[in-house]
Amino acid sequence: MSREESQIPELIRHLGGLRTGVARAISEQTGVAEAQIYGVGSFFHLLNAPDVKLRVCQGLSCRLAGSENVLESIGGNGVLASPCSCLALCDQPPAVLNDRTLSTWNDGEVVALDEAALGGAVSESRSDMAIDLAGEPDFSNRALNRALELGPQAVLDVLEASGLQGRGGAGFPAHLKWRAVRDQAETERFVVLNADEGEPGTFKDRAVLARRPDRVVEGLTIAARVIGANDVTIYYRGAFESLMDKDFEYRGVRFHLHSGHGAYICGEETALLEALEGGRGMPRLKPPFPTTKGLWSKPTLVHNVETIACLPEIIMRGGEWFRGLGRSEPGSKLYSISGHVQKPGTYELPLGVTLDELVEEAGGYVGTLKAFSPGGASSGFLPASERTRPLDAKSLAEVGSMLGSAGVVVLNETVKMPWAALHQLRFFAEESCGQCAPCRIGTRLLAEQLTQHLSSGAPLDAVDDVAWEMGEGSICGLGQTAALPLTSAMKYFPEEFSR
Amino acid sequence: MTKTLNINGSTFEFVDGESLLEVAQRNGIGIPTLCHDPRLKAVGACRTCLVEVEGQRRLTPACATLAAEGAKVTTDNARIARHRQLLLSMYLADHPIGQKNRGDDELLEMAERFAATPLGALRSARPGRSENVNPYIKFDAERCILCARCVRYCEEVEGVQAITLAGRGSLTTISTADARGLLDSSCELCGGCVDVCPTGAMSQRAGWPLLKSDTKKVRTTCNYCGVGCQMDLVVDPDANDGRGHIVRVDSPGPGTTTNDGNLCVKGRFGTGFVDHPDRLTVPLIRGEDGELHEATWEQALDRVVKGFAAVQEAHGKDALGFVSSSRCTVEENYLVQKLARAVYGTNNVHQCAAT
Repeated sequence: MSREESQIPELIRHLGGLRTGVARAISEQTGVAEAQIYGVGSFFHLLNAPDVKLRVCQGLSCRLAGSENVLESIGGNGVLASPCSCLALCDQPPAVLNDRTLSTWNDGEVVALDEAALGGAVSESRSDMAIDLAGEPDFSNRALNRALELGPQAVLDVLEASGLQGRGGAGFPAHLKWRAVRDQAETERFVVLNADEGEPGTFKDRAVLARRPDRVVEGLTIAARVIGANDVTIYYRGAFESLMDKDFEYRGVRFHLHSGHGAYICGEETALLEALEGGRGMPRLKPPFPTTKGLWSKPTLVHNVETIACLPEIIMRGGEWFRGLGRSEPGSKLYSISGHVQKPGTYELPLGVTLDELVEEAGGYVGTLKAFSPGGASSGFLPASERTRPLDAKSLAEVGSMLGSAGVVVLNETVKMPWAALHQLRFFAEESCGQCAPCRIGTRLLAEQLTQHLSSGAPLDAVDDVAWEMGEGSICGLGQTAALPLTSAMKYFPEEFSR
Repeated sequence: MTKTLNINGSTFEFVDGESLLEVAQRNGIGIPTLCHDPRLKAVGACRTCLVEVEGQRRLTPACATLAAEGAKVTTDNARIARHRQLLLSMYLADHPIGQKNRGDDELLEMAERFAATPLGALRSARPGRSENVNPYIKFDAERCILCARCVRYCEEVEGVQAITLAGRGSLTTISTADARGLLDSSCELCGGCVDVCPTGAMSQRAGWPLLKSDTKKVRTTCNYCGVGCQMDLVVDPDANDGRGHIVRVDSPGPGTTTNDGNLCVKGRFGTGFVDHPDRLTVPLIRGEDGELHEATWEQALDRVVKGFAAVQEAHGKDALGFVSSSRCTVEENYLVQKLARAVYGTNNVHQCAAT
């Protein structure tokens, strides 16, 4: 891949999407093979369907809010509407994407959301939290200055003491990543911010970007200075465009802003790097990890928005302070909660609160709790009996689930579990990159088998085998976990699957 | 110092840069592969070559994992066997199976070997190329397992990049830009995609449906140019009243011949002349009557010698020039310049592939 190739997605966009002839025009301009350009454009939904103006979210929380009816009434009059995957607006369903403007459906109209609305409902401002979404943005750079005074080694020690783990889903200790990049012999290094939030049920990063951009920019600058990078790339999902700025320079660090073009898989860090380099967003084999060979094969620190936003207060108040914020694991944590609760939103609480405590923060349940998904679609479902289990990585792993992105979706007694599982399966089938067979075929097999089961009672006899193989054989986390919504629903609610 | 690793309990030497698959293959340890081709960069996408490496939680692709000192590798156990069988069963669910149109399908052969049967059957179709109009190559999207050998071959070996993986998820397919026909792309019709395709999704328009058992392979040297590419003529021995007919041309496996398994459009597809009715089989000499008449080689060469001598006599030695064909080998080219210089005394000699 060359730097020229990295411009391909934007060039396609500026020519109005992947219409006939666009690949050839860009090929003549750049010298990149037109088949390659076509392959890239066809991968991304915001590029490959240029006539679609409106997209209606079919994520679980939006389906609970009747988004399939919205889809029926929204099209027509020359406006082409299509269903789409979770838009990270689960707190204000049903979500609609109007071109690249995140909107909601209100009284029969598409209403664009401004920055305040995109912030959504959050916890009241509390100065004893790491991010404090409701707090006043602070551009004084106190933490950055402090970090520069401390020097890289001391910052790394603070980070280690804090116990901060990646907040994107994998939960890898942050200080190990930083040290791995800093210790590379290669001196050209990069920081990449993963703001391609797309895990169904998750919208915390959107809230951070809307409410606390100060934390993000300061955290990124600290990271760049500590690991020795001059360039920071922010890869944000296309739907967040109204929240984002153009390229800028800040305290000697160059910030490059890169809009995603509609592919959930690009939230996987190596797929994201592929997309940044102008390729089809298909995950790379690991190892090598991005810390050794990342963007342009250079050592790269890739972090989730929330992880980066924790940094300023960690620097200001010390690692022990941050560690002490958590109950069962270090830190405060942003939980996105949606579905059957009174006040869907993003709540910052001690890591390890229970569902009941989280829902109390969100104004209480709507109806009677039946099941919940604790960490995005990939975490599957848990029954109401797990409502007092700490929502942390270890406790959720014990029951075969995961904290993941902490996108919690609450389902009450009105929801049928096969229906809920089917929507999650369809999401994964839609968003699989298609590179490896276990995921590409497995997601579709499961969705088709469940559909047939629901319509004609066909047995679900291949599910265990397919799920096992997806877990063992898939290249990345998408395929490895994509069967969980179905297998967990069948495990905890077997009576709903036998006729 | 020699480096070693352990595979299935035995110790093997390796050199830096070798993959687990290469070490295993060199030592006769079978690991199934579908997306692998030694000419291409390993991508680990088909997942058939997954093995266990001690200390690693996940199965790892042997093709894309470098051999490391002291590594302990297992290529066959209950977990790997289950993985292979289920993976192949999933491939089969997404793959039409009909003995009639089977051809050479590595996937089906492999499935048989590992006793895999289809896990359900998928109904949703994948899009093929809509206007795929070209004389030689056709693509059956339903048979494609998206190993992308063809795409990578087209880019990495031929440097042509006529085709790409297009679309996403289960709708992923192989396509040209804007799904145009190959003739309206940068394709040079080398047919390498047909040759590397493990399932027959990429196939020749002519000659595909024959089963292996009905044909005979004949190794020969391509006579279109002087490179000397080796090729395997796949012959239907019963055609033409038993004289046989070339149904298609295969290239020998990579790494076995000078052409490394590669052929160009002429060698791969240009076999129509072999038993064409217009093909010249004897020399022809134009007579006083203006018509061509069959002759012997002696008569024909006599005529040439006389003609050359007449030109030299009338116009001098440098009135003659010799241009040899790109089909000539280096030895033949040597003889042509010898003929020009030593026999006819002129330096006017050229080879048509020289510019």
